[in-house]
Amino acid sequence: MPRPAPDTIAFTVDGLEVNAPAGMMLADAAKLGDVEIPVFCYEPKLGEPVGACRMCLVEIEGIPKLQTACSTPVRDGMAVNTQTARVKEAQEAVLEFLLINHPLDCPVCDKGGECPLQDITYGWGPGRSRFIEPKRHFVKPLALSPLIAIDRERCILCYRCVRFSQEISEDYQLVLQERGADSYVSTFDGHPYVAPFSGNIIELCPVGALTSQPYRFRARPWDIEGSGSVCLGCPGQCNVEYTVRDERVLRVLSRQHDGVDDGWLCDRGRFGYQSFHVDERVTHPLVRVDGELIPVAWDRALDEAAAALGGAGSDSGALAGGKTTNEEGWLLQELFRGALGSPNVDSRADGMLPRELHAALHAPALQATVPDLEFAHAVLVLDCEPVDDQPSLDLRIRKGVRRNGVKLAVASSRPSSLDANAAAVVRYAPGAGEAFCAALNGALGESDAGPGSATRKGVVEELAEAAGADADAVRALAAVLADAGEDVVIVYGERLTHGARGEDAARALLNVCGRVAEAGHDGAGLLEVPAGTNGRGLREVGVLPNAAPGLAPVSPVGLASAELGASAAAGAISALYLLHVDPLRDLPGRATWRAALQRADHVIAHADFLSEGLWEYATIVFPAESYAEKEGTITHPDGRVQRLRPAIARPDAVRAEWNVIADLSKRLGHDVSVLSGAMASARVFEAIPFYAGLTLDELGGRGLRWPARPAAAGWPAADTGPFGLETPPHAPTPNGALRLGTFRSIWAAQEVEVAPALKFLRQRQRAELHPVDAERMGLAHGDRVTVGSNGSRVQATVVLRSGVPEGSVFLEAGIAEESASELDGGGLVEVSPQ
Amino acid sequence: MSWTPGDEMLVVQRASPPGAAGGTYRAFGETLRGLKTTMSRLVEGPKTISYPEEKVPVYPRFRGRHRLHRFEDTGLEKCVGCSLCAAACPADCIRVVAAENTPENRVSAGERYAAVYEINLARCIFCGYCEVACPFDAITMGHDYEMSAYNRTDLIFTKEMLLDEPLERTPLRGEGE
Ligand code: SF4
Ligand code: SF4
Ligand code: SF4
Ligand code: SF4
Ligand code: FES
Repeated sequence: MPRPAPDTIAFTVDGLEVNAPAGMMLADAAKLGDVEIPVFCYEPKLGEPVGACRMCLVEIEGIPKLQTACSTPVRDGMAVNTQTARVKEAQEAVLEFLLINHPLDCPVCDKGGECPLQDITYGWGPGRSRFIEPKRHFVKPLALSPLIAIDRERCILCYRCVRFSQEISEDYQLVLQERGADSYVSTFDGHPYVAPFSGNIIELCPVGALTSQPYRFRARPWDIEGSGSVCLGCPGQCNVEYTVRDERVLRVLSRQHDGVDDGWLCDRGRFGYQSFHVDERVTHPLVRVDGELIPVAWDRALDEAAAALGGAGSDSGALAGGKTTNEEGWLLQELFRGALGSPNVDSRADGMLPRELHAALHAPALQATVPDLEFAHAVLVLDCEPVDDQPSLDLRIRKGVRRNGVKLAVASSRPSSLDANAAAVVRYAPGAGEAFCAALNGALGESDAGPGSATRKGVVEELAEAAGADADAVRALAAVLADAGEDVVIVYGERLTHGARGEDAARALLNVCGRVAEAGHDGAGLLEVPAGTNGRGLREVGVLPNAAPGLAPVSPVGLASAELGASAAAGAISALYLLHVDPLRDLPGRATWRAALQRADHVIAHADFLSEGLWEYATIVFPAESYAEKEGTITHPDGRVQRLRPAIARPDAVRAEWNVIADLSKRLGHDVSVLSGAMASARVFEAIPFYAGLTLDELGGRGLRWPARPAAAGWPAADTGPFGLETPPHAPTPNGALRLGTFRSIWAAQEVEVAPALKFLRQRQRAELHPVDAERMGLAHGDRVTVGSNGSRVQATVVLRSGVPEGSVFLEAGIAEESASELDGGGLVEVSPQ
Repeated sequence: MSWTPGDEMLVVQRASPPGAAGGTYRAFGETLRGLKTTMSRLVEGPKTISYPEEKVPVYPRFRGRHRLHRFEDTGLEKCVGCSLCAAACPADCIRVVAAENTPENRVSAGERYAAVYEINLARCIFCGYCEVACPFDAITMGHDYEMSAYNRTDLIFTKEMLLDEPLERTPLRGEGE
């Protein structure tokens, strides 16, 4: 779907000649001539206008009746009047009518001061009410969900919230009940409106009918300041504005960026801010003395850390979690490579990819952007669940399908919430992404060359069987991609390239990409969903065991995270440095990591919360900044370097992390001469050839995609295929047992566990089973079971899902208790009732 | 650069100096004239008000220290914590932090109440805008003007202080006084 490039037309509004793109709605086009037309229901983000409120009536010469500016596209030579007596009368009438049933709640209403209804009444209203009859009454406020309060008396029935639920997030929960003056917004059967994106309706509502429960009555617009930054909750890196009062973040609003988030936020990002201010937060450096972590002064903690690291020398290793900024990552690898001579730094969860493959997968010529998803001919979602892994992508993909007819293909092991929108769906066995890519490549090859081509008959069947998938479904999916057009975007999860065979999977993926997307063609290519927020940036700044900043070669090559864990468990590593990561929680192989943390002499961590692994094993803990306190840069999966700006002061003894790492480096005799956050950024931009010449000023509030800058030529050249590949291994046959697949839900996050408003969403382990498997094992929905393999086991509650492929069970990873990472073994598990 | 006064020059006109007789009159006559006023007041007796034992009554519309009010019947606070007074205040000296009423803890008549209500009287300019802004007549300018303190922070009046009766009532000037 090529992007529309409309012509410019000229029209007059209030006698003023204005140029606007053809087809733009009058309400927007008038703004280009500095004429404001009041609107309530019109919100371009919601798609097609509905014309529900009639606030935007204007007079168009040649049309006898007044027209709604929000749903009338401008045409060349149109003459529009917004100031005539007729328009004025209509505006006053509409407002008077809206206010008939609107309570006089402004002083107690949370919207007061930032309320479009107040503003428009003030600006366009009649100024005096003639209505003396009683107004309609509803019980108020009601909890629409634990996060949202609804005051139905204030609702002006603009349909925005209902449209969001029906057409944007497509959770189909909100509806308008009853008719006429009795209409009200609710869920169909009154159950709470809990959905990943529910919070957006608070921002959409043009009155105080939908208000945020956590923000309720906390502040007025004149009590607060807005501070723009970027959310670090997931790789989506949505642009946000923090509402700050008295050095506390009270609310998070979207700072619309069409290249990143499209103006929506997920509820984790919107309400997770409460975790910045909870008592559990670590705000002092801690040192373990006699088995207890006790708060100490910075100097002592730094001295002890420096002594521990200095003593360990190259027998040390560092891991960086997704919330690490580029600056912190770069300083960390300086500390390890420069000061300690240890090559063991990693930011990936599992396994090492050769440098050339990193370079190939993210080559600027193959890089697709987020807006490309909206205008592509076809999108393949591969081995990821956008709503969990990068929620903002989910809405973007839905938008493309709904508005631009993008053909969607979904290939994953676990049923995806996008299945219903997809033109083709393939389920394959957990962990068989490589075999699936090979099968898809085969199927694409078949259709490329026509029947009887060089591709041996039956290859697709063989490969599909190895992937545990249906060959016909693979062919159907291949046909969708092949027939759609040249703009094909593949969205793949980083997990595809994890593990021992990640390298082969990456090559198989590049083969598929080579068949469907032409390198260097704008609007087509690959888009990774990294496992951590700044996964891409950390790899680019050299937090990889086999690559220095800028993906430059290093020697010797260090240990990747899993090897580092094994090596530490064997006693070969004396000091572990954990930057925003708790291996017990975030990494696979819990048992190994538990042994590793126990065995290492020193475990130095930066953390804002003492999760299990740190609470039990960390020897030195530095308090980490929350992401509203951070400064620095991060890199979006599509290459956009974005800037974080501190919104609030750091509490208590918390110090900037770049400062702590730079200080440690200095104590260990490697002075990186970084004295401020801006200097750290400048050093990063200097060190990385393809970031060359970036400045914080240039990044500004919207960031900049480096692959679109001339300096992108500094990206290492790499072979992007096609590659000859060995036959992928066969997915394990269940044979009575079940194949284990893991996933990390959107709610599996520390913020959710500590933020009071989100606690109700805290995840407990559930085993997702196909009803047939459950029946065979005599299990019912809600039963408690033990899932075990090789002696390790977790407790879970059975959830039946017909979309789960037979012979598989899905467990959640990344949660605090009973996480799936507890299970090791060859991908097969036993499920037994408790 | 030489300067020629030209038009800018002012010529001061002085009266001619008084002669000897005129000078003597000025020294004694004028003094006696002044003393006449002094003597006539002397017989009227002293007019000093011995503050603080005695106070000058204030006019009814005198804008003194603020008062917050309760409903007389229910005893609930009139203030709903809407912060409109804070928005109106030109000296930015009012701080309101609102909270939600619950059935167990009902403080005001509306949905919300002021959990914190502070006026920094060291900054207040007693303009009375807050009183005008309040949609519930919850805050009014009182008559008390005795607000000196040894410490600046003592001038931050809390909600409880503003709700309470003043320790001593400031006398009010009656009709026509
Ligand atoms: S929605 Fe707006 S107009 Fe209505 S009570 Fe609230 S602030 Fe006032
Ligand atoms: S609740 Fe708000 S957004 Fe929804 S229809 Fe009513 S006024 Fe519109
Ligand atoms: S009297 Fe004026 S300066 Fe004093 S608190 Fe009220 S509005 Fe502010
Ligand atoms: S005193 Fe009046 S204006 Fe001020 S917060 Fe209370 S109700 Fe609102
Ligand atoms: S804004 Fe045009 S009808 Fe509502």
